[in-house]
Amino acid sequence: MLERHIRLLATDDAGAEAPAATRERLKGAFPPGATRRMTTLGLLVGSTLARLEPREGDAIVYASGYAESCALEAFLDSYPAPSPTLFQTSIHPSAVQQLMIGRQCAVRELLPLSGGTLLAFHALRTCLLSPSARAILCGGEERGTWLLEHGLASDRTFAFAALVSAEPARDAAGRVRISRGEGRGELGLPGLFDLLHGKAPFDGMIAPGWRLQLEWS
Amino acid sequence: MDDAPAPVRIAACGCVTPFGDATATHAALMRGACALLPVAVLGREGGDQVPLALMPGRALDETAPPDWLGAVRRLHAEVPPGDWGSPGRPVFVTGSNFGVGGLYALRRTGDTRFAAWGAPPTCTERLRLELGWGPDVSILTHACVSAHLGLLEATRAIEAGLAEEALVFSFDFLSPFVAGGFHALRILNSGFPAPYRERATGSIGLGDGAGFAVLSRTRGDWSLRGQSLYNEMHHFTSNRPDGSGFARCLEGVLGAARGRRVWFKGHGTGTLEAGRMEVAAASIAFPGAPIVGWKGGLGHTLGSCGLVELAVAIESIRAGRAPGTVGGTGDTMAPSVADAGFETGPYDGVVCASNAFGGAHAALLLCHA
Repeated sequence: MLERHIRLLATDDAGAEAPAATRERLKGAFPPGATRRMTTLGLLVGSTLARLEPREGDAIVYASGYAESCALEAFLDSYPAPSPTLFQTSIHPSAVQQLMIGRQCAVRELLPLSGGTLLAFHALRTCLLSPSARAILCGGEERGTWLLEHGLASDRTFAFAALVSAEPARDAAGRVRISRGEGRGELGLPGLFDLLHGKAPFDGMIAPGWRLQLEWS
Repeated sequence: MDDAPAPVRIAACGCVTPFGDATATHAALMRGACALLPVAVLGREGGDQVPLALMPGRALDETAPPDWLGAVRRLHAEVPPGDWGSPGRPVFVTGSNFGVGGLYALRRTGDTRFAAWGAPPTCTERLRLELGWGPDVSILTHACVSAHLGLLEATRAIEAGLAEEALVFSFDFLSPFVAGGFHALRILNSGFPAPYRERATGSIGLGDGAGFAVLSRTRGDWSLRGQSLYNEMHHFTSNRPDGSGFARCLEGVLGAARGRRVWFKGHGTGTLEAGRMEVAAASIAFPGAPIVGWKGGLGHTLGSCGLVELAVAIESIRAGRAPGTVGGTGDTMAPSVADAGFETGPYDGVVCASNAFGGAHAALLLCHA
């Protein structure tokens, strides 16, 4: 069994918000001019992650199935003269790097994951296995356009960041535990986001042989 | 990331490159062979000629299904049989390309058959079914340190008792997408890579490659120690000029390497600033260790380079001789850069390091169990 305490949580459900509106809404979270080249996912992940004040000794576990879909689409559309900026921006885990490079904030461990129906389990396992005193589990998706038509991008836009620690604390927001169990289940990243965003308790299978218990204070 | 009292072992490890399997790749590098050839950067759509190492008979242009599947199947045939992907035997897939060449082909041609392998989740799910793995297949992708992350996570799962053994499987195959991207950054140009050599212009080459390692608590002749990461977050494509980020990463290996005589297998893509940074940091952390880089022969196998070159390092120790730095002639960046192959007998282990975009660094110590 692996167990950690949720110390801080930040979520952002952009819903059907247009990318320009997201940029306008979140530009205050970044230095002036910094948002011009940021992706929608970079803005969302960056603003939620920033609220947790990441430090050098933290481990950051970042989960996104499709990552920077819009930058990827734009990069592909830039051929036959591919854009070097879009190439950089489209590479996983650009969303986290957009914030952290802007802040010149080094971090010991950055563990970026992709995945599908078991991504929540894999991200939680990675986070809960971290030996760091503080670990941050963050993630999100941005809605694609033509990639979405081919099932190669997310149909939702959202982001979250949760700071977890091994030590219990009086002000902890909740507790997360994964353990071996009997049965099958699945939990993708949107499902995990919905649990975190709604602070919904959960006790069930999230992968074959693996159970998640999520409790809130 | 301290040196654990009972380090996780490597029960099996292998790779496939344009030279062949790990044995053939090691032999080719010992000869100083180069798999890189000039290829049009956008494949059939043309463009500048750049050095690429493609699997024999494979073109840069994507096919549907991907023509790199044959190489993946050949490599997977070397993996010891087991119920990989079951709860006690998880699979960690790593890489930086997955089927992204399919996205390029999809956009250029409109042929929807290219979509099937296009994104990391869909590509990995198809690969899972193709190779007969169970559902516990996670994906770690962080540019050119990806394979190191898979090794680290597999190690942690075993050490925590969540897994008996774990399979780390990494693959990267070139396409106009990745070649065009690196060419746009101007580090993939008409020059051939000459890692750790002083010259006027830096150049890299890119290569097809895949590798695997089976990690185990109880069996295997090799051990992984001191696995270390550091992300300096200085710039998207360059490192801190003072090399402090890579030095911080190597600090994590020092404890495991203390009292051992080691050699150093660096990243060595052929870029000048990064090469100097690596050589300087490695020379300080491991004085006297011969430094080698193999991407002048293999090309840069991107997110899989950590596993591909780990397999070659194991083969080197097994064979008793390590290839020297492959590619180019002229002055090296430091006397510690090994031009020629050398006997591994006098050494107790090899530090294997990789570096990536975003100032991401990874290193580990490979030694006998």
